[in-house]
Amino acid sequence: MNLALGELPDFTCRPGRGPHLRGAISISPSVAYLERAYDEAKYGEVSRRPYMDIVIPSMLDPAMAPPGRHVMSIFVQYAPYHVRGGWTDARREALGDAVVDTLAEYAPNIRSAILHRQVVTPADIERIVGLSEGNIFQGELTLQQMFFLRPVPAWAKYRTPLPGLYQCGAGTHPGGGVMGASGRNAALQILGAA
Amino acid sequence: MNRTIVIGGGSDALVAAQLLARAGREVMVIDSRGASPDEGWVPPNVLRELKIQGLELEWPDPWLVVPLAGGGRLELWRDMARSVDAIRRVSARDAGRWPQFCERMARLARFLEGVYAAPPPDPLSPGFALRARRLGKRALADLLRLLPMPVAELLDDWFESDALKGALAGAGVLHLLQGPRSGGTAFRFLHHHVGCPPGVFRPPRSNILELLRKLPRLELQQTEVLRIAVRGGAVAGVALKDGRRLEASLVVSSADPRRSLLELVEPGWLDPELARALRHVRRRGVAARLRLQLDRPPGFPALALAPSLDYLERAYDDAKHGRVSRHPYVEARCDARHRMEALVQYAPYGVDCTNLNDSVTALLSEHWGDAQPEHVELLAPRELEELEGWPEGQPHHAELSLDQALWMRPLPELARYRTPIQGLWLCGPAMHPGAGVAGAAGLHCAHAILDR
Repeated sequence: MNLALGELPDFTCRPGRGPHLRGAISISPSVAYLERAYDEAKYGEVSRRPYMDIVIPSMLDPAMAPPGRHVMSIFVQYAPYHVRGGWTDARREALGDAVVDTLAEYAPNIRSAILHRQVVTPADIERIVGLSEGNIFQGELTLQQMFFLRPVPAWAKYRTPLPGLYQCGAGTHPGGGVMGASGRNAALQILGAA
Repeated sequence: MNRTIVIGGGSDALVAAQLLARAGREVMVIDSRGASPDEGWVPPNVLRELKIQGLELEWPDPWLVVPLAGGGRLELWRDMARSVDAIRRVSARDAGRWPQFCERMARLARFLEGVYAAPPPDPLSPGFALRARRLGKRALADLLRLLPMPVAELLDDWFESDALKGALAGAGVLHLLQGPRSGGTAFRFLHHHVGCPPGVFRPPRSNILELLRKLPRLELQQTEVLRIAVRGGAVAGVALKDGRRLEASLVVSSADPRRSLLELVEPGWLDPELARALRHVRRRGVAARLRLQLDRPPGFPALALAPSLDYLERAYDDAKHGRVSRHPYVEARCDARHRMEALVQYAPYGVDCTNLNDSVTALLSEHWGDAQPEHVELLAPRELEELEGWPEGQPHHAELSLDQALWMRPLPELARYRTPIQGLWLCGPAMHPGAGVAGAAGLHCAHAILDR
């Protein structure tokens, strides 16, 4: 979720401006909080109190917003792709409200500071960016889908059953977050050098 | 003084005691309560070495009856074809996949069978790698994929029927404070399949304890060990509840490792780092037991109330947040004399279980027809701790999750049955393979002591 802000958030735990607004801000107050957020997602609901990772890019690059104004980018979990009943405009707005409600508990001025908000659901990410199910790793990074099991057992070597068709990218070993490695591996495989 | 003291009267303790006695040691078994026979599969080498005959492994048939949401029931039989017929009534697709699923699981379970018949494997040893390779490419990939998996994902891979998946998933979470969507529960599912016929996914009952008790040569004392005396880093003897102090150079304890090393041994002998690690061994009890007598047969030998994966997961959600499940997973077995024992999960240790008795009886009564219950008794984990000596009500002494299994059971430092105190050894359900594999930890422990 992206916010255009008329003023900076004022966090109750650390009022005013400060270097803390230049770094990452995490709303994940306890392990139990994260578990509860997950509980709802298990049954196809959006977390009422989500886990959030927040950055304010305009703190680092003032050119990103008009003078005195800011942009805030919020990573929100859990907002499952397979939400019960599917993603609708109403659901998208409900997610946005849950984020603002949660954030307001930590930075009460956030509500009045919002000039505009953009909620991007996993379904939107799929539509806009083309990532299946909005998963940025093209396949969850769980142990049973890693190494020689990525993306599926017996097809982990970048080959496919179709001669001449190869795969690389986050869906293949070593997976999302390791830049370039699967592309190199796939190319070496194709060149017969691996 | 060459006496050997064995603490506990379960199958592991008795196997270790027998082997040590047969090797010429003077062995005394000290058991305060007489272990309850909650025993599972017995590896063949345990029987062979002790020359025990007459072992009976018993599965009910059908091994599981699953009530269906729209009425009727799904019955799973030891006979594969009969199960296929029964499953066809809930899903033709699942029925078609059942034989292949059973064959794949049986193959992996046979591999674990070999692993359990030996001391914990050394993951770095070439022998272990060789054995794993002998599984073949597909089975090895199957195994490595399956071990860390949530049992829910495994079952979703294969089946579509909620009733079938819920009932099977029960074996993945037995006595575990985890739900079917927790990682590693597929390993637990496989663990309980070890030693079972293909297509049976519940541990058997066995008469192993009875057979072990009949063996001669053991001196049995019915009292409790209060302390293990240590002098100069080595075992010196034990202090008993009846006031006696016995000298001994060797003590083999089947009590849970935390009790053995942090309570029975004087504090101070253990490295503080090891003591800290021991205190973090998870052993949370999560299941209550309902016992009752019916006046006639209930119409099923074994019944599982776990209608879907979501149902099980929700039952776990309650426990995760410190409550008794509002809709618990219940699994009941009934014997020929209509005595019924039901596992009720999740009922976390220390949580009030007052109303559970009535609610579970009411739940079960919907399935036993006109039968009338008598002598209904519910034992919460706290009562099981007192009655059976299970720490926190956990019968496995240390939860069998992947990080507390194999060469990490209960901790990497203790997995070889030896402790840092000279002459003090560990066996019991908290040691590899433990947790429902009867006698094997006792066998491996005795072998380690005798350096065989």
